[in-house]
Amino acid sequence: MSSESPTDRASRRTRILSNHLTTSDLQVGGNSLQSNICLSYSPPELHEKIEFEVRKMRELLDVHNLRDRDWLFGLMMQSKLFNPQEKGGKVFVMPDFNHTKEQQREMTMKRIEYLLERGVFDGWLTTRGPETEMRKFAFMETLGIFDQSLAIKIGVHFFLWGGAIQFFGTKRHHDKWLRDTETYRIKGCFAMTELGHGSNVRGIETVATYDPKTDEFVITTPCESAQKYWIGGAANHATHTVVFSQLNINGRNQGVHAFIVQLRDFDGNICPNIRIADCGHKIGLNGVDNGRIWFDNVRIPRENLLNSVADVTPDGQYKSAIQDPDQRFAAFLAPLTSGRVTISLSAIYSAQIGLAIAIRYALSRRAFSFVPNEPEVLLLDYPSHQRRLLPLVAKTYAMTCAGNYLKKMYVKRTPESNKTIHVVSSGFKAVLTWHNMRTLQECREACGGQGLKTENQVGHLKGEYDVQSTFEGDNNVLMQQVSKALLGEFIAAKKKNKPFKGLGLEYMNEHWPVIPSQLTSDILRSSNFQITALRLRERDLLNRFAAEMSQHQSNGVNKEYAFALGYQLAEDLGRAFSDRIIFETFLNDEGTVSTGPMKDAVGKLRSLYALTCMEEDAAFLRYGYLSTEKAAAVRAEVAKLCSELRPHALGLVSSFGVPSAFLSPIAFNWIDSNAWSSSSA
Amino acid sequence: MASQNSVMAYNDQVLVEEKSFTRILVLNRPKQLNALSYPMISRLLDLFVAYEADPNVKLIILKGNGRAFCAGGDVAAVVHDIRKANWKSGAQFFTKEFTLNYVIATNTKPQVSILNGIVMGGGNGVSMHGRFRVATETSVFAMPETALGLFPDIGASYFLSRLPGFFGEYVGLTGARLDGAEMLACGLATHFVPATKLSLLEEALYKVDSSDSNIISAIIDCYSQQPYLKDQSAYKRLDVIDRCFSRKTVEDILSALERESMSKADDWIKNTIQSLKKASPTSLKISLRSIREGRIQGVGQCLTREFRMVCHFMEGKLSKDFFEGCRAILLDKDRNPKWEPARLELISEGMVEQFFSRMDDEEWDDLKLPSRSNFVLPRHAIAKL
Repeated sequence: MSSESPTDRASRRTRILSNHLTTSDLQVGGNSLQSNICLSYSPPELHEKIEFEVRKMRELLDVHNLRDRDWLFGLMMQSKLFNPQEKGGKVFVMPDFNHTKEQQREMTMKRIEYLLERGVFDGWLTTRGPETEMRKFAFMETLGIFDQSLAIKIGVHFFLWGGAIQFFGTKRHHDKWLRDTETYRIKGCFAMTELGHGSNVRGIETVATYDPKTDEFVITTPCESAQKYWIGGAANHATHTVVFSQLNINGRNQGVHAFIVQLRDFDGNICPNIRIADCGHKIGLNGVDNGRIWFDNVRIPRENLLNSVADVTPDGQYKSAIQDPDQRFAAFLAPLTSGRVTISLSAIYSAQIGLAIAIRYALSRRAFSFVPNEPEVLLLDYPSHQRRLLPLVAKTYAMTCAGNYLKKMYVKRTPESNKTIHVVSSGFKAVLTWHNMRTLQECREACGGQGLKTENQVGHLKGEYDVQSTFEGDNNVLMQQVSKALLGEFIAAKKKNKPFKGLGLEYMNEHWPVIPSQLTSDILRSSNFQITALRLRERDLLNRFAAEMSQHQSNGVNKEYAFALGYQLAEDLGRAFSDRIIFETFLNDEGTVSTGPMKDAVGKLRSLYALTCMEEDAAFLRYGYLSTEKAAAVRAEVAKLCSELRPHALGLVSSFGVPSAFLSPIAFNWIDSNAWSSSSA
Repeated sequence: MASQNSVMAYNDQVLVEEKSFTRILVLNRPKQLNALSYPMISRLLDLFVAYEADPNVKLIILKGNGRAFCAGGDVAAVVHDIRKANWKSGAQFFTKEFTLNYVIATNTKPQVSILNGIVMGGGNGVSMHGRFRVATETSVFAMPETALGLFPDIGASYFLSRLPGFFGEYVGLTGARLDGAEMLACGLATHFVPATKLSLLEEALYKVDSSDSNIISAIIDCYSQQPYLKDQSAYKRLDVIDRCFSRKTVEDILSALERESMSKADDWIKNTIQSLKKASPTSLKISLRSIREGRIQGVGQCLTREFRMVCHFMEGKLSKDFFEGCRAILLDKDRNPKWEPARLELISEGMVEQFFSRMDDEEWDDLKLPSRSNFVLPRHAIAKL
């Protein structure tokens, strides 16, 4: 750049500008014989029509705390801490992923301190009720849109550490820890997973032994596989942790319990008898300081046992209101569902970011012409590109509604609804996080080479979000849990000859649903047909799964091994259940929209969602729910719906409500953001 | 008679000079400090639209006749229209004005506004959206609407929200006045040129035969100076402003300011609190929300949203504060408006929400912005969409 004089630069700019003018003349006048014209960026806002009110559509998706979300977006956009960068005349905020992991961790902590100072966390642990919980969810979703590390680091502190104190602890713990946690005077982490045990929490090897002589517990890491692993916050910042450990009283193991242990003093020095090591650089989330912890006979006061479910008296008596260890363990872990709720939602918001970027790019990037010498065609005007992205938009809409349903169910939870929440959140966590990963991969490819640049998000996010299919329960394990729960319902209903009740299974008390013999376009788009098809699949798979289980068991296979053998149907059934509930929640939300262009668009999305489910799952053909002819009709209708939704594409992704600063340069003027003058700036 | 008057006003209140590829538009209502009348806005809109199609025009200069650039929209006339007929006739003014603001924001021809003297309210709408804004040592900027029972309109929720940190909230809520040096520092002005050099600058701009921003910017640079930012400048208190004006609600902002003022005696903080307490509580809440929404919207979305809001104020069903403000400041001049509701805590989120909804009137539509799809917009305009 320095070698170019201002006059050269000026004349070059003039040349480029006059080329732009020629291009615009071309569009109007149609003289197509000019060669070598340069492309100009044509903003989708100018040539795409939006038929519905984006503000209303965003309300359908975001539902609650919209002003709070916007405020938080603004807090991040207006602070240098969030690394604002100007590209193509727009400002984007994004962590600097070129930083070392140590730098990224320090930035995450600084951002937390800034948000704390501005009052973002006010009342997170010191006030209760559905309103506070919904506000927290909204903030977590918004923070995750900036950076998954930031959301996770905050989530570990408030939802895992703070949640453990709230739900596993009693008044003495609340009084002592909650306020200090809310103000970050102490920084908490959550030591559950070990090197040798993840999803199978009951198998962990850390031991807490009660010493009645000193009124203390002694926490020990007996072997290397018992080291605590992946503990977010442990490597650098946490001052305290909740440790999950087997409780040993007088030589008797009472199962897994949770204890508070201080890890560092207030100067940041690691406490005696504790060793902490780093988990190292990761494929994503390097803004979170994951660590490993060993406990070398650490002594803690008896009061540090989180005793909401069980307690130990000073003389060493074990007391619990729940006698059955299985039930005790379930009651113990039930409150942790909030993790699966936030993960499901953050996955959906990530998919929204990916799609908003890929669709906006596809509305401004052209490739090849259908006719020689004609202008090249917008990517999104290719039916294949529509088929790649628009069903993912439809799914994201459906799953956003599903996520909202899950949130509502969670904040209104009662002891009776715990089981439903567990089953639904397990299914949704798996399906939504898988959907996000698939969406990001498709978006990355749909953006071509540009998708590979970290600044363009879609590729980079894959690394950031990959962990979601593993933490808070491996997705495959969760799917099996869903199927186990459904089987339980099935057996209960059949054996006791009682009707199905709950989990939306009531339809199984009716006659078997029937698919119409002719699948016209009208029928394919009717919610009646769609729900019938989804129910038929779920019901049949459940029956097959139950039959397979009883077959195995009558052959003398034990129950757990039978489940392991039945993995194929278990996985299919878990998905069928989740898809069906997702569809119902979406249909329900569609019902709240008043007649008009917005309802039309939502109706098409709902149909596209349902028909894509049918097109993609081989079970519909394998078990004959759809004949080959009907499956072909479904496929043709998917393509038709894609072309009908194409004109709404910009409106649909704008309604995700992700501000432009949180998208990426290729979503906007990617020619200008790549111009020489931008590179040298 | 009236129509003859308005034809005359159309021609006289904006003067046009032609110098090769440059057009100089002069706001010419010096006695009213060039307050924008309906004929002026109509004329400006016609001119900006015509120049876009005219290959002989490459640069537009906008300035004011006399000691002001422009003191704002002619609000007194709007109130008069509403009293005489109905709110819709008043709202017509804003339809035209906001359309003009949009055409300026997305114009293909660069605009240099010479902000000598007062530039307030609607005056910012015809200048801040343009490519170059030249401040001088006589410049006085303000968006004083909250004191008038209105809110910073004319697309201010777009440009105020994009000032550094939370300076936009400060300027928009308090109506604080900024001098030329402050305007440059915060980015409202792109250049600072001493008033004595303005005529030389203009002459240099007459010779421009290009619409290239780099070339025009380089010319203005030749006459620019780095002005001295006074020690008491609000811009030097950006840390306090960020701490307080980043708060979620107006109430939170006020208590943050009060906490600051308790920790140290400071006239600037006292005055800031004072201006917030004098402003219409309804205006404050609506303005804060408008700036916060504007931060995540394009300029067109900002203007259509602000149009809805302004219609609600003109209709006077949700709030009569605008009429009360005009009475107290512009007509009776007792400077003692009686706001209703009188206190912030009486205004719920739901009440604020109503100002952002579509007008409940079948004969009244949202603002329809002119299509820009046939233009190849310059980069800075594209970035505003």
